[in-house]
Amino acid sequence: MDNLEKYNNIFCELFALPEGFDPEIVKLNETGDWDSVGHMSLITALEDTFDIMMETEDILGFMSYREGIEILKKYGVEV
Amino acid sequence: MFLEIDKKVKNKIAIKDSDNQQITYGEIIEFANLFWDKVGERALLFVLNRNTVGAAAGYLGATINRIVPLMLGASMNQELLEELIRIYHPKYLWKPVEMVTEGEPRLLEQYGYVLVETGLTPYPMYEELSLLLTTSGSTGSPKLVRHSYANLEAQARNISAFFELDAAERPMLDLPINYTMGLSVLNSHLYSGATVLLTSFNVLNPGYWEYFKREEATSFTNVPYSYEILKKLRFFRMNLPSLKLITQGGGKLNEELQREFAEYAEQTGRRFILTYGQTEGSARMAYLPAEYAKEKYGCIGKAIPNGRLYLIDEDGNEITEPDVIGEMVYEGPNVTLGYAQSGEDLLLGDERHGLLPTGDMAKKDADGFFYIVGRKKRFLKLCGYRVGLDECENIIKGAFDVECACVGDDRCMQIYVNSRQDMDAVRRYIADKTGINSSAFQVHYIEALPRNEAGKVLYSQLV
Repeated sequence: MDNLEKYNNIFCELFALPEGFDPEIVKLNETGDWDSVGHMSLITALEDTFDIMMETEDILGFMSYREGIEILKKYGVEV
Repeated sequence: MFLEIDKKVKNKIAIKDSDNQQITYGEIIEFANLFWDKVGERALLFVLNRNTVGAAAGYLGATINRIVPLMLGASMNQELLEELIRIYHPKYLWKPVEMVTEGEPRLLEQYGYVLVETGLTPYPMYEELSLLLTTSGSTGSPKLVRHSYANLEAQARNISAFFELDAAERPMLDLPINYTMGLSVLNSHLYSGATVLLTSFNVLNPGYWEYFKREEATSFTNVPYSYEILKKLRFFRMNLPSLKLITQGGGKLNEELQREFAEYAEQTGRRFILTYGQTEGSARMAYLPAEYAKEKYGCIGKAIPNGRLYLIDEDGNEITEPDVIGEMVYEGPNVTLGYAQSGEDLLLGDERHGLLPTGDMAKKDADGFFYIVGRKKRFLKLCGYRVGLDECENIIKGAFDVECACVGDDRCMQIYVNSRQDMDAVRRYIADKTGINSSAFQVHYIEALPRNEAGKVLYSQLV
């Protein structure tokens, strides 16, 4: 499984998104279960999957599917 | 005057919010006078709260004038709001200007809030009734907790005493002030002459931390799940020089988090105080003094000043020996009057007389400190919100043609249904209805619920 698949699977599983979801509309506090509790689950899943440890500013700045991809680059994860 | 607001420094800022609004102690009194000019009678008022200066001003403008507010979240379910209006007949609503519909006459508009009149026929109210709060904002129960003026004064005085608050405090207040603990932070700090930093942000918003740092907050209060978020956010590495006091409420904090925060507080010279409370007890009833935070794990401490905690056995007799489990009972001036379930109930007087069986099962150690071990009443605290298990069963049974039983702990509700095809929909539905993340609910299939001969569900067999 490549990184994009892993990244997408995390979103699908946590936020009950259908396969082939529109990435542009996946945002914190807008997409179903992506609230503060969902956010913690997301960060934990990303850290476990990619074996990274995110900084506070990146956890707070991770507000959409797209922004997440940019943030993961800082940790050497190319999605 | 309410909270002795007239004895505070007039030009000192009493409340700020993260929308850059503010109100001084003197302006609170001016606003209260204006509020009385428009209302001019003791009446019931619904405050639709957004945790802003406007919302707080409405609450204070009402309470100072013995107008009775019911505090509600502005984003609450519209059907439930309409049901509450139908049941309790508020004469006035104080709501954010964005929520005012066209053609609604505006009696008063200030701080982004508007006073409107409903035209409903009011119910008579008990003369000492000061405030109404919901028991469970999430499952939508219309049951309310009736507070007296003495309750609110006792709450403010006792809480400011055990937290040792003074006028230099600047508490962050992201807990909603329609929630008992949030309101207790507001009342106790205004009583102390402090500056309250209201915000609609939570700890996951970058804006929260900018506001915290810019305003040099001295304390903040968190519920168990926000402690987990703080840990994940590497809170222990944040540079927050103004922070002096960290408090906790809203359910039992797990022991590992207590240990980590207690160690952090000790190393950084801050105070960390755990508390225990309920809406029925005007928020806090017990606290663990900071010096014991690292010593007594899983402990709620002792009764707050002017209160008394003890345990009773099944026959109602007080338990005196240590380490025996019994129902915890609280006595004190902050015990509320009772519940209201109808408009007529607003006339009810004091039904508790300062005595509150908490519904929590606890034990006491040899030093007289209390530990909660279980619950007598069927409810959970999910993400800090009280959620009634029977209410959830009724919500699910009302929407699906299923047999249903709800059990679980404060981490996750376990829902048993006898229909495989509805399992996922039930989970989505109850999360939507309660407004709580669906990860806090697990749905299981069960062919038939275990029942006794009388047909009562045997919940103990489901866990």
